Amino acid sequence: MAAVQTRSERALNRIAIAAVLVITLIFLAPIYWITATAFKPRNLATTIPPTVLFEPEISPFVKLFTKRSQLREAPAPEEYAAAPWWERMVFDGGEKIVRSGRGEVQPSGYPNRFMNSLIVAITSTVLAVGMGTFTAYGFSRFRVKGEADLLFFILSTRMLPPVVVAIPMFLMYRVVGLNDTHWGLIILYTAFNLSFSVWLMKGFIDEIPKEYEEAALVDGYTRMQAFFKIVIPEAATGIAATAVFCFITAWNEYAFALIMTNRRAQTAPPFIPSQVGSGLPDWTVIAAGTFLFLLPVAIFTFLLRNHLLRGMSFGAIRK
Amino acid sequence: MRKTMTGLLAGIGLMWACGSSAQAQELTIFWAEWDPANYLQELANEYEAQTGVKVTVETTPWADFQTKAFTEFNAKGSAYDMVVGDSQWIGAASEAGHYVDLTDFFNKHKLNEVMAPATVKYYAEYPSNSKKYWSIPAEGDAVGWSYRKDWFEDPKEMEAFKAKYGYDLAPPKTWAEMRDIAEFFHRPGEKRYGIAIYTDNSYDGLVMGVENAMFSYGGELGDYQSYKVDGIINSEKNVKALEMYRELYGFTPPGWAKTFFVENNQAITENLAAMSMNYFAFFPALVNEASNPNAKVTGFFANPAGPGGEQFAALGGQGISVISYSDNQEEAMKFLEWFIKDETQKRWAELGGYTASAKVLESPEFQNATPYNKAFYETMFKVKDFWATPEYAELLIQMNQRIYPFVTAGQGTAKEALDSLAADWKATFDKYGRNK
Amino acid sequence: MATAVMTSLDTKSRSASRGMSDIRIRNLFIIPTILFLIVFNIFPLIYSLGYSFTDFRASSNAPANFVGLQNYRALLNDPFIWLNFAITAKYVIISVTGQVIVGFGTAMLLNRDIPLKGLLTTLLLLPMMLSMAVVGLFWKLLYDPSFGIINYTFGLGSFEWLSNPDMALYAVAITDIWMWSPFVMLLSLAGLSAVPKHLYEAAAIDRAGPFYTFFRITLPLVAPILMIAIIFRTMEAFKTFDLAYILTSQPTTEVISIRLYKMAFQEWQTGRSCALAYIVLIMVLAITNIYVKYLNKVKER
Repeated sequence: MAAVQTRSERALNRIAIAAVLVITLIFLAPIYWITATAFKPRNLATTIPPTVLFEPEISPFVKLFTKRSQLREAPAPEEYAAAPWWERMVFDGGEKIVRSGRGEVQPSGYPNRFMNSLIVAITSTVLAVGMGTFTAYGFSRFRVKGEADLLFFILSTRMLPPVVVAIPMFLMYRVVGLNDTHWGLIILYTAFNLSFSVWLMKGFIDEIPKEYEEAALVDGYTRMQAFFKIVIPEAATGIAATAVFCFITAWNEYAFALIMTNRRAQTAPPFIPSQVGSGLPDWTVIAAGTFLFLLPVAIFTFLLRNHLLRGMSFGAIRK
Repeated sequence: MRKTMTGLLAGIGLMWACGSSAQAQELTIFWAEWDPANYLQELANEYEAQTGVKVTVETTPWADFQTKAFTEFNAKGSAYDMVVGDSQWIGAASEAGHYVDLTDFFNKHKLNEVMAPATVKYYAEYPSNSKKYWSIPAEGDAVGWSYRKDWFEDPKEMEAFKAKYGYDLAPPKTWAEMRDIAEFFHRPGEKRYGIAIYTDNSYDGLVMGVENAMFSYGGELGDYQSYKVDGIINSEKNVKALEMYRELYGFTPPGWAKTFFVENNQAITENLAAMSMNYFAFFPALVNEASNPNAKVTGFFANPAGPGGEQFAALGGQGISVISYSDNQEEAMKFLEWFIKDETQKRWAELGGYTASAKVLESPEFQNATPYNKAFYETMFKVKDFWATPEYAELLIQMNQRIYPFVTAGQGTAKEALDSLAADWKATFDKYGRNK
Repeated sequence: MATAVMTSLDTKSRSASRGMSDIRIRNLFIIPTILFLIVFNIFPLIYSLGYSFTDFRASSNAPANFVGLQNYRALLNDPFIWLNFAITAKYVIISVTGQVIVGFGTAMLLNRDIPLKGLLTTLLLLPMMLSMAVVGLFWKLLYDPSFGIINYTFGLGSFEWLSNPDMALYAVAITDIWMWSPFVMLLSLAGLSAVPKHLYEAAAIDRAGPFYTFFRITLPLVAPILMIAIIFRTMEAFKTFDLAYILTSQPTTEVISIRLYKMAFQEWQTGRSCALAYIVLIMVLAITNIYVKYLNKVKER
């Protein structure tokens, strides 16, 4: 605005800055609280007044990855002394690590679920973005009869409530044996993300001037070569942004995972609430699991910051 | 770009390979997330040491245990070989063919005589008195109570209580006494409250809690043979019991409208309530000083009697069943053969499991092992349970829908709630042609 | 559908003579996606439409019997279902209104010269990227009447957020507002920054008051984008499942998705739940239609 600001305008600006800061703090408080709780000793997690300053511990993470059970009597001193540092942390919390018949430390369900989340989210993202890029190119460069209707059809498949889709999918998967498999979830997430990826990629490809390919065609490229050698590199940023959006959607998905998976292919979102524990909830462990699960998304959000608007509006609004 | 893609795909392939490896010599047991499941894992580890067969106990929280189990059964999934399923599931699971018929196994090993009678009746047999068995009683359980000995034994409190109510402050013997004590200790100004009860309506928490009152008041849920409910579920005794439960709700800590075992244990550890209802299986956390700072001053008592002197408790606990979609049924049967041996049952009790073996339950070692085992032993001979018909899930939801608003928000009256429930249940039984 | 695509081609494309023809490439690029979506989205819906006219139960081995419109009739006459719809409507209104007020308000504040504006905006956007189910779980701790930080921070004593039946829906909505106001903010910011500066300058010269400027210049120009945000959030709030399911189990927060989930996967009334799913589906498609019309309108500008 104008260089000359009146005094009242400056005051107004200061109030606005203060208000924005307060709002930001309020919005970040729950995330901060999750992070803080993930590093707290258990007895400080639910105190009144809340504990803000404390010596961070990693015992919640040790507990997160191991299967534990209540100690009914204190461990023998020699057993305690012989235990590695991480096992002592569990002893200190009144629990012991469950070991297998061969004495191996039993992992909790968490690492396995985390891995399932990675497998399902990455595979479905590759498929959705791959297919979506081709289809978007098709819609962008060729005349397609009833294009608007087809695009509406593609989009509407994403708008359905997950539970509505889950009922028939459950029945169909039961017939073909896809319930509780990685592929079962991958297919669902691919279908879910595909429409999004088509819409978003179409916007990115529309922005690449047609002349680039035409010049290549004149130079003797086939349409396919032009697509792979000219369009794909030009659209790389768009592909990356779309991929990150698809990944986050699949990573965060809850309802399908709750209904369609059980033991073998369960992902982290339906699993983390089940860490509520035995007898008494250990919020530090839940926070540790939540923290690790949110971390990749938080990093991606920063990388994506310039594309968020576009992704969130299905490519309709660009900066 | 292409290189990263290939790397990515290779990585995924690797994860795939790791994620889906399955060995033949492995059994998986599905149970809910609680300590007994960990004890069972320890027991199963000894089986592995002896036989080399790895047995894994998989768990999920109580709130969705039923949903998860039946989703898996109805998907005809083979993820689990055995399930330690709730007593009320037997009807649904046996009629739909999810459970393997264990009648022959039961007769061969005379489990009728080995296991405590209530556990055979409620965990294993369906339909009632049919002599058909679907599971092996594994974890006996019932509802009991914990209380704060230090509050009860404080001389000042004892004097004040006596002055107010005219009798001595002690663990209650009747529900009426329990109400008085709850009222006495209910002091919101001091952040101390009277009593913690079950109110969670997402599965069977609230219903279990109310059942404790109804059974001790001499009420029943219905006639389990003829499916008659009108005049039974809405009997005068049940109305009184439900009113009592509602009254007790007035003495609970703030925010006590979706509470189950976790919150009820917290009521003791966080100094919230004088008395707290819970399954015996959750008491280990209360005698453990690391998880309960008040462990030394926590006492236990059995579910009190009703006005007529009758004393019953709601049954918890589970039997272990073989799932008919499992690919390892033979291995599972071998495990069960081992599980029912006397030595195994004894070991199971030592590890913290609530064996259903009558011989072990009666032994002094068992009864003296913890401060609450004796109360448990006594309770296991006076338990009653919910409907076990295949449509029990609908019955449970209807009961929650009718009584939850009355108990937690005082909507309507107890009589209205139970009359509507009787009508709902009758309609459900009519729908399935039960009461011809 | 596929044949319609194939016949509408521009055959005189320059590259038609070399390599694959454009028609083949276009079909190769588009048809697999359409087929995939038909197989995994449309076919299941046809499948469940069939079941919605039967008394099928996936939990039993009994065959499905055709019952005509009975499921639909029973559902539309069930007072509990209407209650679920009413709760959903109330939730949508509270939650979307809250998001618009907080989101648009924050955007107005941010739409000036503020130091570190980019960083602040990104930080504010974080909540909406997180998993509802996982973060929702943690809000249970924040709302806890005895040791939650919300009651402590605002001095509310032992206020019952989730266990008070009248408050629980608001508590769920507040969490939703926390998560999704950033979305409204993001879109509003885009709208606000697109308002040409000279309009404000002209208004200043005319000595127009701030209210006049806001209602006559800012709002009309931001309205289309704001509308997109509102319709999109309405649709999402209508579908809500995770948050309400994880935070509470009050009868007063049983939105339609939760009822549907219970009917299908706890009571196993498969046939009837398919019918309910169809009723919900039609409502969602109606909102989607409006949404897409708006999207295209904004795109054309």
